[in-house]
Amino acid sequence: MTNKEFIQITDLTRVFKDNIALDSINLTIQEGELFGLVGPDGAGKTTLLRTLAGLLGITNGEVRQAGYELHKSTEAVKSEIGYMAQEFSLYGKLSVLENLRFFGEMYDVPAQIQKERIPGLLSFAQLTDFTDRRAAKLSGGMKKKLALACTLLHQPPILLLDEPTTGVDPVSRREFWTILNDLHLEGTTIIVSTPYMDEADRCSRVGLIYQGKIVECDSPEKIRGKVDGEFIKVVTHDWQKAREIIQPLKGILEIQTYGEALHILVDSAAKHIGRIRKTLKRNELDITEIRIVKPRMEEAFISLIRKIDQAN
Amino acid sequence: MFRRILALVKKEFLHLKGDWWLPAFMLFGGALELLAIGWATSRPITNLPMMIWDMDRTAASRDLVISLENTGVFAMTEPAESMETIQDQMDRGEINAAVIIPHGFANEIDTIGGEPVLQVILNGAESIPAREALRAVEGVVRSLDEEITIDHLGVNPDLFKGFDFSLRVWFNEALNEAYYTTPAELALMLEFTILIFAALTFSREREFGTLEQLLVMPFSSIEIIIGKSIPVILVGLFDFTLMLGVVHFAFHVPVRGSIFLLFGLAFMYTLVELGKGMAISVFSKSQHQAFLLVFMVGMIDFLFTGYAAPVESMPKAIQYLAYLVPAHHWLSIMRGITLKGSTIIDILPNILFLLGLGVVIGFFSLRYIRKALD
Amino acid sequence: MSIRHLWAVIRKELQHILRDRGTFLLVLVTPTLVLLLMTYSLAVEIQHVPIALLDYDQSATSREFIYQITAGDDLDLYQNAASMEEVEDLLIKGKIKAAIIIGPEFSSDLLAMRGLSLQIIIDGTEPETGGFAVDHIGWRAEAFANEVLAEQILASGISLDSLEPIDLRIRSWYNPSLEPRVDIVPGLLSIVLGFPAFSVALTLAREHEHSTMEQLLATPISRIELLLGKMIPYILAGLVNVIVIPIIAMAWFNVPFNGNFIEFLLLSTLFLFAELSMGMIIGVFMKSQSAALALSFLVVLFPGFFLTGIFFPIAALPEMARMESMFLPGTHYAIITRGVFLPGIGIDTLWPYAIMLVILGLAFTGTAALFFKKKLA
Repeated sequence: MTNKEFIQITDLTRVFKDNIALDSINLTIQEGELFGLVGPDGAGKTTLLRTLAGLLGITNGEVRQAGYELHKSTEAVKSEIGYMAQEFSLYGKLSVLENLRFFGEMYDVPAQIQKERIPGLLSFAQLTDFTDRRAAKLSGGMKKKLALACTLLHQPPILLLDEPTTGVDPVSRREFWTILNDLHLEGTTIIVSTPYMDEADRCSRVGLIYQGKIVECDSPEKIRGKVDGEFIKVVTHDWQKAREIIQPLKGILEIQTYGEALHILVDSAAKHIGRIRKTLKRNELDITEIRIVKPRMEEAFISLIRKIDQAN
Repeated sequence: MFRRILALVKKEFLHLKGDWWLPAFMLFGGALELLAIGWATSRPITNLPMMIWDMDRTAASRDLVISLENTGVFAMTEPAESMETIQDQMDRGEINAAVIIPHGFANEIDTIGGEPVLQVILNGAESIPAREALRAVEGVVRSLDEEITIDHLGVNPDLFKGFDFSLRVWFNEALNEAYYTTPAELALMLEFTILIFAALTFSREREFGTLEQLLVMPFSSIEIIIGKSIPVILVGLFDFTLMLGVVHFAFHVPVRGSIFLLFGLAFMYTLVELGKGMAISVFSKSQHQAFLLVFMVGMIDFLFTGYAAPVESMPKAIQYLAYLVPAHHWLSIMRGITLKGSTIIDILPNILFLLGLGVVIGFFSLRYIRKALD
Repeated sequence: MSIRHLWAVIRKELQHILRDRGTFLLVLVTPTLVLLLMTYSLAVEIQHVPIALLDYDQSATSREFIYQITAGDDLDLYQNAASMEEVEDLLIKGKIKAAIIIGPEFSSDLLAMRGLSLQIIIDGTEPETGGFAVDHIGWRAEAFANEVLAEQILASGISLDSLEPIDLRIRSWYNPSLEPRVDIVPGLLSIVLGFPAFSVALTLAREHEHSTMEQLLATPISRIELLLGKMIPYILAGLVNVIVIPIIAMAWFNVPFNGNFIEFLLLSTLFLFAELSMGMIIGVFMKSQSAALALSFLVVLFPGFFLTGIFFPIAALPEMARMESMFLPGTHYAIITRGVFLPGIGIDTLWPYAIMLVILGLAFTGTAALFFKKKLA
């Protein structure tokens, strides 16, 4: 294995009592990649990340990370990984500083180095003024930042982050991603799972996981481009009625709703956009907006899932 | 209101299902434990290691040793040849008693007016077996005294009969240890089971953070209390039935009184301890704490039940305290109904005390819990 | 094994324990408190046993007899009964533990040397009190008979002394008055020091219940480091009690401590190591605190109570129970404490038990580490 294939997952399968959580997953992640993991709830994102972190056993398959085989050298791999759980999993009764120190010790960061790194971490996490506050008393966003800080203390080459920005305010989210980008530029290999499609867009590659399988794995542009067809965005004053009317028209592949707007998937926008406009007008629906839009991750995502469901 | 309570009870059972170890232990652990420990402890004291240093080595001294063996209390070790051996074995706690037969023992016995001497050394580091050992030895010595006096002094044997009296043992004619120990162990286990279970009810929810959720739902505090009580009561009664079965079938402890009365009072007792347990539960900040408190309370009660030592022997002040302990009355009730065949009248004072305590504990607990919940 | 990891876990545990004042206090104080309670409850000298008397003779002799019987502290005359029904009733109601029925020909039988026309009834539901009553009534009856018969016996040419030719010399070592408190305290020490084991059983489950297990498992800490790190704070709590309890025992209960205290500290540490690792095994298997609680109660407390030879001598236990008791650290430690307190023997004599404790400790810890999977599922 060369260093380029930094994380290599082969035929990874994990079966729980009554369901197959991970179904023969094959994935290769290059060193220094910023890899996004997206998928609906229950698809297997957390299971996958936990398995990579050594927290879950493997039913079948093999995982190699940073030169170690997960199954054989589980504890040794852990030193190379920084894992951030989805649920807040730090010690509420301990202060910010005590938590940092604890994990510093657990990851064998020498005391002197801890002293050097901690102030920096505190400042990026904006927790410098809160060093003595008990972790349980931090706000949601601060908790997540603290958790991230704890994973970074030992400067691991691999970061596994499970929905690190969920429940965090938009400003903090931005800041979080600034940090991730910096780390990415420094060469850290990052796998981050996220429900936010705009975040997926910022990754080098995105893996779409559904029902335990990787159904798509490519750069964001390519994924977006994989959608067969074009989207027409329509905004009216009664989107439900509009959807009812448009759905039965010929050539309508799919309609996705986004608040008040409808994103209608057709094979060719030019062909259908006129007919749609006419149909809406005939039913006395005022059109606020109607134009062609490029598919975003979200649409591509929903579209792909639907295709799989229809195929089953 | 009943529908809501039922919904609560269902939820409790569902939770328990997921965590099935807990009710399993509560239900069967008590009975199993009783079986194991009752079996191990309901035996008279026997097999106490005894060391003999026979410096006489005559037929008489050997007879003495055989008599000691025949008491069934002792298990003879290798005979000693010196005081050092005895000292050493005693220090290590390997023997409970040692008997030293001096040289010339048989001679002194045969001589009229002789003064035979016998020495017994007891291991005071274990006073309970030591007393048993002493009793047994004294019994053997007494018989030997009689023999000597009759044989050598030509005394009328009837004289010695003169010191006998007839002994009747009631309620436990065979002096079966199990009759005495297992009901008490049952009472103890029942109390602890109910207390632990009750104490976990609220402290669990508090620790998991689900207590808040429960409180914002449209349940009145009474409904919550009843809803949480029902599983505990059911478990308590089931446990009692099981343990009673064990005690009766495995240890042959009879139930000479009314079994309905027994169950009725068991139910009452369950309620009393339930009240205590729930109060502890609401008071504790975590399951760990609840458990430690239950433990302390349980141990304090243990002190007063009279299981380990009779309450009459305690200083008066403490005796009065004993009356305030529900378990004390419960044990009397249990012993009364099972072994003595007591009727309601016989155990009325205990019942009244239990009732009274129940009302007081219940009242204060209820108030405390309601205040805490609201 | 990394001392850094170990120390990090110990420090974290201590921080948690110390920040939960209530629980901390309870953990620290429970062993000593329970010891005090139990010593008071168990080491009670039986006295003031209530009895009833039914006198069918109603003679001067019988009245004299009654007077002698109740003269001391050991037996209390609760009631002079008038009929058997009354006696029965009193026994059933538990108001008396024994009754003496004096036959109608009591005095004449006695003076004619025809025997003691006495019947003693005891409440078999409390054999200890009953046995006590029988013994004491018996002694007094004998003494009484001897007095009354003194002249008759002398007239027959026998000296009273020769009625009891054997001079039985009784010595009780370490505890001359056979005072139960003295030997029970060292034994109880072995039981109460086991209490921290419950807390140990809970500690892993608590991480699960508080969701902190995930991040903890993701670190490269080894199983042994984690388990030992969680045990050690409780060993320390136990050691505090090891220091406090002998002081209380000596000052309050007059229990002698004749051994070497440093050796005792060392042996106690070995015991705590073995006993707490027993709790750890339970903790490894149970994911919820309440289940860990219940199981440790059943497995640690009750056997610890009944099978370690403290209340029931091991020699008197059935074969299988005796074998089981060998696996309980409490059994070996009870022998050690008894030895150190009363005879005052040291490691030179007690080393086999120390070795057993070490073996048990290693075995239990090893088992716990073996079964503890550093996995969430």
